[in-house]
Amino acid sequence: MTLPQDRTPAIEAVELVRTYRTHTGVIRRRPLHVEAVKGVSFEVLPGELFGLLGPNGAGKTTTIKMLITLLLPTAGTARVMGHDVVKETTEVRKRIGYVFGGDRGLYDRVSALDNLRYFAELYGVDPAHQKRRIADLLELVGLTGREKEKVEGFSRGMRQRLHIARGLLHDPEVVFLDEPSIGLDPVGARELRQTIKGLVDAGKTVLLTTHYMFEADALCDRIAVINDGRIVALGTGADLKGAIANRTIVEIETFGVAPEAVERLRADRDVIAVNAEERDQSQILLVQSAHGLAITQRLLGLLGETRIGKVVAREPTLEDAYVHLIASTSETDGAARAAAVSG
Amino acid sequence: MTAAVAPVRAANPAGLRSAFRVFWYGGLMSYGMLFNWARPSIYIPTLIGGPTFQLFFFAALGSYATDRSAAYFAIGNAVQVSALAGVFGMTMAIANERWFGTLPAILATPSNRVALFAGRFLPFVGNGLLVSLYAFGVGVVFLGVRLAPGSLLVAGLALLVTVFSCTAIGALQGAISLRLRDGLFGANLIMMAILLFCGVNIPLADLPGWMQVIGNLLPFTHGLEAVRQAAVGAGLADVGGLIGLEALIGVAYAVVAFGLFTYLERGARQNATLDVR
Repeated sequence: MTLPQDRTPAIEAVELVRTYRTHTGVIRRRPLHVEAVKGVSFEVLPGELFGLLGPNGAGKTTTIKMLITLLLPTAGTARVMGHDVVKETTEVRKRIGYVFGGDRGLYDRVSALDNLRYFAELYGVDPAHQKRRIADLLELVGLTGREKEKVEGFSRGMRQRLHIARGLLHDPEVVFLDEPSIGLDPVGARELRQTIKGLVDAGKTVLLTTHYMFEADALCDRIAVINDGRIVALGTGADLKGAIANRTIVEIETFGVAPEAVERLRADRDVIAVNAEERDQSQILLVQSAHGLAITQRLLGLLGETRIGKVVAREPTLEDAYVHLIASTSETDGAARAAAVSG
Repeated sequence: MTAAVAPVRAANPAGLRSAFRVFWYGGLMSYGMLFNWARPSIYIPTLIGGPTFQLFFFAALGSYATDRSAAYFAIGNAVQVSALAGVFGMTMAIANERWFGTLPAILATPSNRVALFAGRFLPFVGNGLLVSLYAFGVGVVFLGVRLAPGSLLVAGLALLVTVFSCTAIGALQGAISLRLRDGLFGANLIMMAILLFCGVNIPLADLPGWMQVIGNLLPFTHGLEAVRQAAVGAGLADVGGLIGLEALIGVAYAVVAFGLFTYLERGARQNATLDVR
């Protein structure tokens, strides 16, 4: 998606850098500088749903915190709806909603209604419209009828939905959703996705971070993959999948596979990548190659005495593309990452 | 989660009307949200039971050990217990934002910070007054406290100002606790300092010079003296200076507390402190 000449991006990040200062030791304290974000640039169009994907510690939340004015960039610039996140904080804050995942961040001892009423005041929602607005949002997130209960009795899913209602109180133009589906059950997560779609249908710009690839694939117009503080890929879900379009994924279910056997697979001339996922009693080996099932017998031979379960071949998904991107950039940047933490 | 939501008409969050609502309604709501003791099972033993025993303890000890009446100690402690709600309450009202993890959400709003901060004083000043009036009632009924009827309003004004200034030092402790955590430890120290340095049980003039200096710099000292004088009939002309000085000290603490709060907010953006990281 390219930016038309006459449209100002809703979100614009240019070479954003954020370094954290910390220290090691108690008596002989040694300062450390950790580069969490190392020059992130992207633009999000008005009305676009933009996904930011990356492993834990990749820099997603730090990037969001700079965009919502909670953190100052160490270098670079960012604008939201045309306003600078460093110099025009009030203007930015008026226009954004911020929803973060997890159990915390709500006043547990009072009701959901009081939580929303309080933040409606902080966001300056017109008192004449406050009651209606809160009722609408409670309906939107499925908490109608539970609004007078204390939040301390809420499940994680209910808390998450209350977070979303709070982030939308002032009808923001841009909504930042930082892993909003974390901890939700499948039904709750599906409802959340419908809500997010509804926001975009209503003309909101949404920046979403998530660990769930199918969620990003289903929702996002464009996706940026961030790893080790840098954007390593940016495009539509189809663009990202295109990077490994010529590959086939062979899923091999194993029971008690030895690390050496996995290494033998990786060393095979026709194997491009191998990722292992732990399940309850088994391990699933995801073997990427350009040959599909044709090399399956050889792959199984390399696993030696390992007990094998199901073996299936399939087309690559966004998750496969993501794992490939993260793995390849982590290998490339290994030395650079070590150097990023310096005294 | 599929219902449609009508667009909302937003007021200007930085405007005066919004600021007043944040001050008034936001301030009142913060009491239930952030004050750990705002439930009867904690409130009654802590803010009714504790002050009652404190009054009887110091009245008994003081009248036994000195030639002063039980009423002298009862008045000092009846004013001092107001600080219980002010200091602890205000410490919690600020520091608990970090405990609940609500601080990033608060800081991401465009709300007027002066109104947000000042509003927190409202319920705790009211609470402090309530506790103190109860303690005065105990003093009148059981410990021989008598208040000159003609100076009741002056005593009430002095009490109000004293409660405000104690709440202001609680606000300072709350702001400190945003950074250092364990705020109640500091609040306990402040309560002990007020008990020791401010003339609650030992007249300021009987304390060593260095303790008098500290007492004069702390909130409470001048307000308590004004209450004591008003109780025996002094008018506003007599104690107006003391009340004014107490108010000045309270405002100074409140300004320093707000300055620290804004400094910490700026520092949090700069250094990723206060859990905004």
